Amino acid sequence: MTDESIYVEVKAYWSPTRASAERITQMQLEFSLNHYPPKGGDSIAEIAWSTGSVEQAMAELPSFVPEQVREICRSLLQPWPEGRYTEAYGRCGGILNLYTPPWGEPEDEAWAAMLAGWQQARFADEQSRQEALQALEQRWNHTPHPFWAGLTPAQVLVGGGRREAELAEEFLARLKETYDGHGFSSDGDALQQTLLLLRGWQVQPRGDGLTPQEIILAERDELLARRTRALQQAGRADP
Amino acid sequence: MAKTKRKGKRQRLSSSYRRLVRRADRVLEENDVDLRPDNWQQVVLDWLEPAGPDQDTLAAFMAAHETELGLPWAREMLRLEVFFQADDYEQIIAHYERGLSRYPRCGLVELWAADNVFRRAGDYWRARGMYCFAMEQMPDHPKPYYEVGFMHYLLGDFPGALDWFNQAADRVEADDAMLGSVIYYNRALVRYVVEGDRKAALADIREALRRRPDYAQAKVARQALRRGELRWIP
Repeated sequence: MTDESIYVEVKAYWSPTRASAERITQMQLEFSLNHYPPKGGDSIAEIAWSTGSVEQAMAELPSFVPEQVREICRSLLQPWPEGRYTEAYGRCGGILNLYTPPWGEPEDEAWAAMLAGWQQARFADEQSRQEALQALEQRWNHTPHPFWAGLTPAQVLVGGGRREAELAEEFLARLKETYDGHGFSSDGDALQQTLLLLRGWQVQPRGDGLTPQEIILAERDELLARRTRALQQAGRADP
Repeated sequence: MAKTKRKGKRQRLSSSYRRLVRRADRVLEENDVDLRPDNWQQVVLDWLEPAGPDQDTLAAFMAAHETELGLPWAREMLRLEVFFQADDYEQIIAHYERGLSRYPRCGLVELWAADNVFRRAGDYWRARGMYCFAMEQMPDHPKPYYEVGFMHYLLGDFPGALDWFNQAADRVEADDAMLGSVIYYNRALVRYVVEGDRKAALADIREALRRRPDYAQAKVARQALRRGELRWIP
């Protein structure tokens, strides 16, 4: 028996597509891994970044977490690549991207356009050509992407935090209240109505004048800054 | 076991597709459709009744590909029209894939089918390719620009949506009430979010209402914008 009580809450959500239902778990795990004690201390993700050890970070997970969930956490905690953050294609992108039909590199018009520009450009030698490609990859990592609701790949990869978790719960509850049991003419109709509700919700200013979209982007930037700090304190490079 | 199940489902879909094609053929027979080498282009135009400039686009496509299309293509197109009239989006998509894919791609047909792929099947990435093809084939047609703009809006890319809506607004005819009104209405809302320009948004709403005075959502948006509130009711 530990001095920490364990609280398990089971919730039911309504989701327009199977893909989005499956992503809810990943989104919530990202929130949990980024959770840090308000009075100071590191999140599980920060432990992984600062130590470079996924297993050391995994040791922080409560013992009751099932192996299937541990596997997902392990993949979410993997070190970020030095080049392009292609892992972002496999991430849920938080509540703003939860319902976007799955896509990857073949659909990535933004990267294709950047790459085409690089391929057409002339370089003095092979080294400068490769350096230009590396710079391009970094630019892609930190440029808002049209298919990620304006998040950068870095913002996608870092995951959401406490405030996004609260906002996501709010939206998921609203979605359930609005559409659970509602008859749709097709799967596409259900998806479209969900996205219309989401896009309307994300731009409605709240009491503090900020929209959910602004709160989410600011928090992901904060998490990226915490990541940079964690890497610096550990004397590790931030690619 | 799983393999057998998948095969079973494929067979069922295939048999359902063929059954509906036979039913479409019966509808064509009942309507005394008489396709001949000397009339197939006119019969297709009469049956599909494409509106305004679309009529010329379809006629030009048939003339340009006369030898590759012919009677078999015309029959597939008439079947497609039967499925459109029955409002059976799954069969429309199945027929687009199975009946028409062996012929040269027609921008107009891609546009019609893409609406079902996008809005009803929810396959955004495939629909996007079809709309882009329609843009290449019909660069002055406002609809593919509008649809891709709406897709960007749904994807949460508001600046991208605004760009596409601008392109659609540049192309839509002054007397196009239905498409024109939704283009201006949606541009107003996105413009307000992206640029915060209430005057410009109100001007777009006024244009939407000029084209369609009974556009209820535009009336609600106009009131909300006048109050300075953002009430997003697409």
